Amino acid sequence: MLKFIIRRVLVAIPLLLGISLMTFALIQLTPGNFFDALKLDPRISPATIAHYEKLYSLDKPLIVQYFSWLKNLLKGDFGYSFYYSCPVGQILQGRLFNTFVLSLSSLLFTWMIAIPLGIVMAVYRNRFIDKFLSFISFLCLSVPSFFLAILLLYAVSIVGGLPLGGMQSVNAQAMGFWAKFADLLAHLMIPTIVISIGTMAGLQRIMRSNFLEVLGQQYILAARAKGLSENKVLFKHALRNAINPMITILGYHFSELLSGAALVEIICNWPGIGSLMLTAVRSKDVYLVMASMLMGGILLLLGNLLADIMLAWADPRIRYE
Amino acid sequence: MRVNNLPLLNRRELIFTSRAKKLLTCLVVFLLLAMPALSFGQGASAGKHGGQIVFTSISDPKSFNPLIAQETSSTSIIGYLFEGLTRTNGLTLEVEPNLAQRWEVSEDGLMWVFYLRQDVFWSDGTPFTADDVIFTFNDLIYNDDVPCSERDIFTIDGKEIRVEKLDPYRVQFTLPVKFAPFLRTLGAAILPRHKLAGPLAKGEFNFTWGVDAPVAEIVGTGPYVLTRYQPGQQVVLTANTRYWRMSPGGQRLPFISKIIFLIVQNQDVALLKFLEGEIDALSIRGADFPLLKPMEKEKNFIVFDLGPAPGSNFIVLNQNTKVNPKTGQPFVDPMKLGWFSNIYFRQALAHAIDKKKIIDIVMNGLGYPQDSPVDPNNNIFYNPHVITYDYDLNKARELLAQAGFMDRDGDGIIEDAKGNKVEFNLYTNSNAVERMQIAAIIRHDLKRLGMNVNFIALEFNNLVSKLMANYDWDAIILGLTGGLEPHFGKNVWVSNGQLHFWNPGQEAPATKWEARVDEIFDQGVQILSDKGRKPLYDEWQMIVSKELPLIYTVLSSYLMAVRDKFENLTPSSYSGVFYNLEEIYLKEKYR
Repeated sequence: MLKFIIRRVLVAIPLLLGISLMTFALIQLTPGNFFDALKLDPRISPATIAHYEKLYSLDKPLIVQYFSWLKNLLKGDFGYSFYYSCPVGQILQGRLFNTFVLSLSSLLFTWMIAIPLGIVMAVYRNRFIDKFLSFISFLCLSVPSFFLAILLLYAVSIVGGLPLGGMQSVNAQAMGFWAKFADLLAHLMIPTIVISIGTMAGLQRIMRSNFLEVLGQQYILAARAKGLSENKVLFKHALRNAINPMITILGYHFSELLSGAALVEIICNWPGIGSLMLTAVRSKDVYLVMASMLMGGILLLLGNLLADIMLAWADPRIRYE
Repeated sequence: MRVNNLPLLNRRELIFTSRAKKLLTCLVVFLLLAMPALSFGQGASAGKHGGQIVFTSISDPKSFNPLIAQETSSTSIIGYLFEGLTRTNGLTLEVEPNLAQRWEVSEDGLMWVFYLRQDVFWSDGTPFTADDVIFTFNDLIYNDDVPCSERDIFTIDGKEIRVEKLDPYRVQFTLPVKFAPFLRTLGAAILPRHKLAGPLAKGEFNFTWGVDAPVAEIVGTGPYVLTRYQPGQQVVLTANTRYWRMSPGGQRLPFISKIIFLIVQNQDVALLKFLEGEIDALSIRGADFPLLKPMEKEKNFIVFDLGPAPGSNFIVLNQNTKVNPKTGQPFVDPMKLGWFSNIYFRQALAHAIDKKKIIDIVMNGLGYPQDSPVDPNNNIFYNPHVITYDYDLNKARELLAQAGFMDRDGDGIIEDAKGNKVEFNLYTNSNAVERMQIAAIIRHDLKRLGMNVNFIALEFNNLVSKLMANYDWDAIILGLTGGLEPHFGKNVWVSNGQLHFWNPGQEAPATKWEARVDEIFDQGVQILSDKGRKPLYDEWQMIVSKELPLIYTVLSSYLMAVRDKFENLTPSSYSGVFYNLEEIYLKEKYR
């Protein structure tokens, strides 16, 4: 097992290098650089712009720029953001945490609702409750998340009761710890629902079909024949086997924890990494983009690894040698 | 006077810039009659301290260093933290004393002595002296290692201004040549020597006072100090208890204790937050007006229509005569160059722009036709007598016929005198929604004239490389932000300017009128009084309206929704509603 993990980590290194190189190449392929916006300011001379470009080493050949970034990265320095004129690491820190809070809440919400619903649908297959839930889940799948976000915000603006986007109230600083926590939960509500609803519907369908497949197996028939209670059959024998494939999916979801949902973040005004990334790409803030891409890459690999390990732990049939 | 790469509707940001305040600031007393709820009292009744105001910003600040910060979401905040030697009155547009209480100028207009206020302290308690002024100019602005646009502004004819300390409260500026906009440019922020000399010596100035800096480090003389910044959420400023300015009634300013900038990236969400009462002031789009206006009473706010928003929107045709050194081919196809440099062709285009329709469709009826490069609100330099071009397709057809453009083969497309069919590309930047709508309307009318116009929306950076480096474009719809001082548009108007969009960087003026405009911009800075300068800039506007290098379209209305909780508001169409924030106070129940 340890060997397996070490091998996976080693394979990840060239993969991450590839990701960073691709990102760098793609962003350099688009015309212009960050300081283009200044070029159209009649009060700024070309000499000043050349000065900026020199300051940030944009006048050097691309390959030199990439390798000096890589060298600094190995020293733990993610590079400098042109936009914010401060180290990329500084900017990412707070944003990563915010995105993490939102993703974690939506991950918990999604799984806590989707798995039980999936089981219910499988157990009551083709009955009214199954059909009704299926209908709802298809409906949820087909609503674009940004549209849902706007609808919910609009509804809240009429009905009231929940904050209209943001992460904290304007005067949150003056609150006590628990009041602040409650304030955060209230702000989490809408973005969590919006992000969860699409994934939830999909997950629920997968869980349903897994469970149905397991219920059709002969050992379930055997268990029932031996006179085990239905609860024992469903939750002890069937559930454990049905949940196996879900673990892989959980790994993928884990990798999405920090990548954020840009659209929902922007509309719900959540100060996360998705919206930051979008502006960074648009303004060609190269190193900020690369740092966040790298973060996403690392998490994806980590998530996959984690899923594999969990799978081995949950399913005795799987062994990595 | 930066190119407005944002959608028109985001211009609120650009208007609130401190730079706009500092340098270009502005004009007009466009007090509309329809605001009975306001008190216009000028210090008649005593103000009251306390309370807070919540603004919104479309993105995070990028730096708190006034020399490094370039864009408006930073400068709109920095404007409350720092001050210059002079400032422009938002209402009268006159230059008035600020950190300098008075000044003397020598007869030749080159030597200026400024007497600094002796009662000014930095927000950490250190006294403000001539050393700070000297430091700001000689060590920062004129420092080659500090890239800043201020250096370009204070470099006149390629020469620096000599800045010397006479005594702790007197500073002398010696100009290389006469420079009319000088006093107004001195609105540039003065920075504290005791805080910044250290980082400068270590070579770290460019990264000092970034958004990661501890807020207590950022020390200014302005009415507010920075007290908190939560990335992606809010910026909080609190009243500077050491601020020197007093109200006319002798009260300490500012009145409002706290300013909060809520960072809201989505305009629709900002609107909902405004209606909920979370935000106190919001610049709104024409499309939002019918929704908001009827709710004024119920939701306790006022919608101000401040007149034409500062700025410009225009179409420019590529008249570049140069040859591409890489390919040996001309930048512009000689056939198209022939069309675009034909004045009848440009006049026909101007007559084909249906400004009323654009205002009705794109701006919900809330806009103004534009005919001059100077903002209509600029009551110092605007020339109301420029040539205007009505929407008249028949007139346009006549003009085209005069220049030999006719549909000879009856296919609905006109040909030039040599039989080439008229077809060209029209570009704009894809993030400017209103500009794209304007392009669609113009394209429709040009089609009726028999021109085949292909409309292409490009990412902003892509458009800039076309415009500034590759010159491979035919026509572009673009905008510039406004400014009081015409000289700061010099780079657009003089024939060797890099931003002389239609034919940049000419070695010698290509046309007689361009030569005359060069002369005007040279002479315009030699005369120190605005009155003396006006005839020159009037002539320039006349030339532009006659020769149409830029064909102007429309300006949107500057609309501002403001919670009805303030006293002493004196809105101005150029400076907005809150340019005099330190003198504004809250009604009793909001304090």
